[in-house]
Amino acid sequence: MSVTATFLADRFTSACESVKAAEGELTEIDSHFGDADHGVTMVKIAQAIEDAVKANSGGIKAMLDDSASAVMMINGGSAVPLWNTWLDGMQEAAPDAEEMELDDLRKVFAGGLKALSALSKARVGDKTMMDALIPATGALMADGGTAEEALDAAAQAARDGAEATRNFVSKFGRARSYGEQTLGTPDAGAVSMAYFFAGLAKK
Amino acid sequence: MKMKKFINDPESLTDELLEGMALANSDIVEVRGHMVISRALAGADRVTIVTMGGSGHEPAQHGFVGEGMTDIHVVGDIFAAPNPQAVFEAVKLADKGHGVLLLVLNHAGDMLCGNMVMKMVEKEGLNVKKVVTQEDISNAPRSNSDDRRGLAGAIPLYHIAAAAAREGKTLGEVAAIAQKYADSMATIAVAARCATHPATGAEFGDLGDIDMEIGMGQHGEGGGGRQPMKTAKETIEIMANALVKDIPLQKGDKVFVMVNGSGATTLMEMWILYKDCVHYLESLGIQVVANMVGEILTVQEQAGFQLNIAKWDDVTLARWNTPAHTIAFHK
Repeated sequence: MSVTATFLADRFTSACESVKAAEGELTEIDSHFGDADHGVTMVKIAQAIEDAVKANSGGIKAMLDDSASAVMMINGGSAVPLWNTWLDGMQEAAPDAEEMELDDLRKVFAGGLKALSALSKARVGDKTMMDALIPATGALMADGGTAEEALDAAAQAARDGAEATRNFVSKFGRARSYGEQTLGTPDAGAVSMAYFFAGLAKK
Repeated sequence: MKMKKFINDPESLTDELLEGMALANSDIVEVRGHMVISRALAGADRVTIVTMGGSGHEPAQHGFVGEGMTDIHVVGDIFAAPNPQAVFEAVKLADKGHGVLLLVLNHAGDMLCGNMVMKMVEKEGLNVKKVVTQEDISNAPRSNSDDRRGLAGAIPLYHIAAAAAREGKTLGEVAAIAQKYADSMATIAVAARCATHPATGAEFGDLGDIDMEIGMGQHGEGGGGRQPMKTAKETIEIMANALVKDIPLQKGDKVFVMVNGSGATTLMEMWILYKDCVHYLESLGIQVVANMVGEILTVQEQAGFQLNIAKWDDVTLARWNTPAHTIAFHK
């Protein structure tokens, strides 16, 4: 079953809208152990991706490449280089075409995670965006016979992963200095990633 | 705590402060976007120095651009690292044929940025060396220095490294001098009253009326040493004692001391604290040979200070006593 550039653009736009709508929640979470700028930064990132997707007239690779480049220019928190690297990894693994198969979509997300894992040392349990992204990518690779089903599974896994961060002690970023006080609050980066995947699944 | 700051649009804080800083110091720096460039860079024929970090800590670090300190500083948003592309552009611009020293304070965002910049640097085969400062003793032991935050101790290092560059040392030599300096200092902070984030108005570092927190980070992230307020002398002894043990220092050593006000602590208090620190160190047979006392790396309107001590030798002292002409530091 074919995954077209139009389909992907539509899903990415929905993902960006989902993140933007969550700005208040992300700010609130980040104000506990961060400096309350995650909401603002993620809105900048989501808008940059959305604008790049809208302006793109090339195929799938170009859409992801433009998104990565757009994010790279933003002045904001740590999310900027992390999201730029994720998108750039996706772009590298993407075909230079107007459509692809589910298998190719899986390679795109696998490429994104691989690139980000090389930059960020965080893994599941460290209470970062990786707590949502790693399970989401895993679910995308394994579940569903269509792109829609695979993205649905990924969204569910991302949401569960973000929720699970409530039970972890922060190991990275500013919050790390608070140690056990971080128990009970989810990680803002995991929550925003979960919103992105929810939008990809159009939920 | 309600934020009462004389600002305009929270979105344009960094741009506006840089414009004002440049207008007030046009003989020293030129500002291009978020790059603060020393006017001494154009005629430089030596190793040059690039730094990067978030705004909101004025005068640090953009206030230390100029002769005898840094050549280009790339500014991020309030408390946020700048974007790696901008730092990469700065590194290329700064290179005068003898290589570039990139100095990074250990904070998550700055480190991510620095690592990405070095990847880009390696891809293009540029002559750049990165040195990280990480001297905050409160969140990890010296053996686990990767976990230590980089605080105000980097600032005097800028002058020492610049002096070494001016001597005609190679990039490898300047980087080694910077690394040795980074390894021979320690800092600990205390906060007594919280501050507000200028872009969001959100309060950080809430301490109530009674307490102070030793080990407070420079963005309001805690340090675990919360206790009722003590006198200047008591506080200094706790902090200096911890630093002496960490470096470690012994009788006969010569040191540099910095009392760095966080933004709401008065110069009156800083001078009292400095006096208490000098007396305390003297009682241990440790001689203070140089100092910086004032607001060097602030945390908005936070009350408190960072105490930095560095073990110095005569070569370092000689480098310290060379000229500097920057926005916030002169010699």
